[in-house]
Amino acid sequence: MGNEDAVIGLLKKINENLEELGRKLDRIIEIQGSSRTIAKAMTSGEMPLDVDTLLSLPDHLRRTAMAICALGEATATQVAAETSRARAAESDYLNQLVSLGLLKKRRKGRDVYFYIER
Amino acid sequence: MKAISLHSYKGGTGKTSIAANLAAIYARLGHKVCLLDYDFRAPSLSVLFKPNPRFWLNDYLNGRCEVEEALVDVGKGLGLRGAIFAGFADPSTKAIRDMMTKDRAWEMGALHRTLSAKRAVQRALGADYLIFDTSPGIHYSSVNALASSDAIALVMKGDDFDIEGTKEMVQGIYEVLGRKAGIIMNKIPMGLIGEGEEGFAKGIEDALRIPVLGVIRCYCELMAMGGRSIYALDRPDHPFSKALEGLSKRIAEM
Repeated sequence: MGNEDAVIGLLKKINENLEELGRKLDRIIEIQGSSRTIAKAMTSGEMPLDVDTLLSLPDHLRRTAMAICALGEATATQVAAETSRARAAESDYLNQLVSLGLLKKRRKGRDVYFYIER
Repeated sequence: MKAISLHSYKGGTGKTSIAANLAAIYARLGHKVCLLDYDFRAPSLSVLFKPNPRFWLNDYLNGRCEVEEALVDVGKGLGLRGAIFAGFADPSTKAIRDMMTKDRAWEMGALHRTLSAKRAVQRALGADYLIFDTSPGIHYSSVNALASSDAIALVMKGDDFDIEGTKEMVQGIYEVLGRKAGIIMNKIPMGLIGEGEEGFAKGIEDALRIPVLGVIRCYCELMAMGGRSIYALDRPDHPFSKALEGLSKRIAEM
């Protein structure tokens, strides 16, 4: 009986983990989907980083984009200080925004600055 | 500093009056307040203060001046311990038409300048509160202000039957921007508060899923003033002023 209970407990744990994994995959698919929608809009014409675009961005990118809107031009470290998130994560999000055509970046010495082209 | 937007789904809810009275209440307590008229389609703050500014907020958004240059010290002579610096939207027809024809690229710059203004009034002015009086509905200028705010006070009046439209706005803008929001029920006729204020507020809260910060009744004498008086200063013992005092505390805590 003891063994059966242990197996049932283990199977429940595995099931919980699988459900959690499923939720995370759904989130990734959702983020990729919204990025694709934005990328499509980018290639189809003008899409400046105004509030309309901001509202259509996924949450994680919106916070980064808002920080750049406020700072004007900033490094990943400066954006991380603004959003209270990790610098590495902000660097990734900033580069995603560059790929989407919403931001530009330029190097000044050892630092990379991200900005909105007006 | 706390940045607050007074916003509504429809017009005529009393945003400007509430914004000016809140500014006066905070300034009376000794705070520095910056009050910005972001209703470029129907500017009305100038009716109350009759300013003669060197620059309008339109000039600031068009890059013709710094935000500090567009601010007027309207608290002078009002017997306040603190101060009110107000920025006004140009009420001329030409300026309103000009603001209505702006494109997305300009609005992108306006968002940046609105966010920069928030930083400037905090750093240069040492403001404790920034209050945006916005235009109703989902216009660029109001959403730019909402995006630049820490909290949103949604002003509704007794005959706002379009709960679905308001709900759409709350979910599509406030929630997406991740801003704290609360409802101010204004101009509510006595008869409408059938089962008491609590029951009335609960119905709205359940529908919109944001808290009601306060219910202000309808006062004919207030309407008769046509927005030319700051009741919190002129008649501090009036129930409207008392209601706003309570609201000012709840908004500060948002």
